[in-house]
Amino acid sequence: MNNHHIISATDLNKDFDSLQVVKGVNLDVNKGEFVAIVGKSGSGKTTLLSLLSGLERPSSGRVILDGRDITDSSENELALFRRDTVGFVFQSFHLIPTLSAWENVALPLFPVKISAEKRRERALELLRQMEMEHRAEHRPSTLSGGEKQRVAIARALINNPKIVFADEPTGNLDSATTDAILEILKCLHADNGLSLVMVTHDLDLAESSDRIIRMQDGEVLS
Amino acid sequence: MDLHYMVKELWYRKRRTLTATIGLAVGMAILITMNALSSAYTEAARMPLKEIGADITVQRAGDVPEDLTGPVFACSAVTIRKNEIERISTLPGVQGFAQALLVWVFDADRFAIVLGIDPSNPVGPGVLRTQLTDGRFLEKGKKQALVEASFAKNFNLKTGDTVTVAGRTYPVAGIVDASRATKIAVAHIYLPMEEVQKMAAASKQVQAVSPFDKDDANILFIKAAPGQIDALAHSIKDIMGDKASVATPASFLKRLGSLFALSDNFSLVTSLIAVVVTLLIVLKTMAANLTERTGEIGILKAVGWSNGNVVSQLVGESILQCFIGGILGLLFAILAASALGFMQVSIPIPWEMSPTPHFLPGGGDPAFKTLRLPVHVSWKLAGVAILLSSLIGAVIGGFLSRRIARIKPSEVLRYE
Ligand SMILES: Nc1ncnc2c1ncn2[C@@H]1O[C@H](COP(=O)(O)OP(=O)(O)OP(=O)(O)O)[C@@H](O)[C@H]1O
Ligand SMILES: [Mg+2]
Repeated sequence: MNNHHIISATDLNKDFDSLQVVKGVNLDVNKGEFVAIVGKSGSGKTTLLSLLSGLERPSSGRVILDGRDITDSSENELALFRRDTVGFVFQSFHLIPTLSAWENVALPLFPVKISAEKRRERALELLRQMEMEHRAEHRPSTLSGGEKQRVAIARALINNPKIVFADEPTGNLDSATTDAILEILKCLHADNGLSLVMVTHDLDLAESSDRIIRMQDGEVLS
Repeated sequence: MDLHYMVKELWYRKRRTLTATIGLAVGMAILITMNALSSAYTEAARMPLKEIGADITVQRAGDVPEDLTGPVFACSAVTIRKNEIERISTLPGVQGFAQALLVWVFDADRFAIVLGIDPSNPVGPGVLRTQLTDGRFLEKGKKQALVEASFAKNFNLKTGDTVTVAGRTYPVAGIVDASRATKIAVAHIYLPMEEVQKMAAASKQVQAVSPFDKDDANILFIKAAPGQIDALAHSIKDIMGDKASVATPASFLKRLGSLFALSDNFSLVTSLIAVVVTLLIVLKTMAANLTERTGEIGILKAVGWSNGNVVSQLVGESILQCFIGGILGLLFAILAASALGFMQVSIPIPWEMSPTPHFLPGGGDPAFKTLRLPVHVSWKLAGVAILLSSLIGAVIGGFLSRRIARIKPSEVLRYE
């Protein structure tokens, strides 16, 4: 472990009952690095992402995220840690259907004690960055896929995370929109020095990363 | 916990919210209406006695007079002894006390119902003061008479005239019209208590049936401390023996024969059923809600909400929803209560309390006190219902949130 690493995982294993989904993974990600995880469907990419991001605890092995060993943290400690350090972007956007765009962006801050005004300002500012300010009051069902993903990215950024995890962020988008979203992610990485771990099975997408990690049957090949 | 988010969840999931809210509202409306009806019957049963300023009346049954001449006692109201009166008036819980003496006077030329009263006592026939239509009310120590309006008309009596009864003559101080009052403790002629006591003590017919001293009486009126009525009635029966007839709101309620009177627990049982059914409806909709929202809860957890954050959000939603349901139920109940308030009840007055002898027109007919059922939703009942609704929300929300804790944040990655 050295303090250039935002993530340092050693000998990670994850079993679901008798099924070994992640096997003996050792992986470091540098601060400010953009890493793409690729592999066939069912190879364990999503599971690895959830272990690295503190969404799930490994069956064995260690994960050190932003200098903190999260392997033995309780569920609530992990939640707090995710809120302070991590942002997520999902394939199916996962916006709350009853909330407007800006409220979805502000969602991680609901439990945080800041004024409603500040929360809204911050959410609107991020929507502006995503060129989505004009849709701030609209609910997700009225947005296109690309627009939803912009809102979701804004949500991932509202807590000023050190690292963003994205699981097939363009999986539900057409190619033009995919390019636009990828552009946004690359900019975040380049301009703000944000660390980025992105799962994809699109090799073209993976090409724009700093490093490609290939998975097969739960193991990291390179 | 975010109120805005709660409101939006409830607003945009209208069907689910409506099912739970209406279900709860109906249950609460039933509960409130049942309790309001129950108190309305109880209150109605208090009316006949309340009109004469009392909670309890006491009489004693005796024999029918053999000879209908001069002053006699009705067989439903014979002597209550002075020592009994003293014991009863000093029972714990007695807050007001009055005595009266009812006699039927058969004079040669006419029959009169005569009631001896204590004019200054606010309990008992003293309340006639408000029915005065002419002249003045009786005053303590003055030998005067009040005459009932219809009797005065029949015999052409006016204020300032004199009236003769059982050989004694009294100036008419005023006219009262008690025709709209309950037929309890009403008479043709009202005299000071002492006058009627002397009259009864001197009557052979009275003494033959029921020995009488001039300090005795034959009707007692008692105002009881709150909650003491039934206990007092019991003690009075003990003192008076088995010929006593003691009238209380409870005895009137029994005569009403309503479902609410038949069983003290009727409204309690219906309320309980309403609450249980409501609980089940709300539980079912909320459980369906949570199942449907597994993914959403996964999102909340993934973006850093703790278990506690999620639980308080959902419990808050549940309380808010049930609170709204409670308010709605209260509105339904107020509507139902005002509709039920048009219902009339006729409270039967027991024959022995009617002073009119059966041989007179109207005497012996069943008497009723008819009134509108006083149904209203009390503040206390409303408050209890709203609190209970919110409590149902809290309990169900709390119960279901144990399932929430089991939803893993990584669910979010598997949920489309
Ligand atoms: N919670 C779970 N319980 C049981 N099995 C699981 C669970 N999560 C994942 N798996 C299994 O683990 C294996 C790897 O799943 P994972 O979702 O990590 O693959 P993936 O590489 O992300 O696939 P895809 O590209 O299709 O998203 C699969 O066989 C899956 O069925
Ligand atoms: Mg996957």
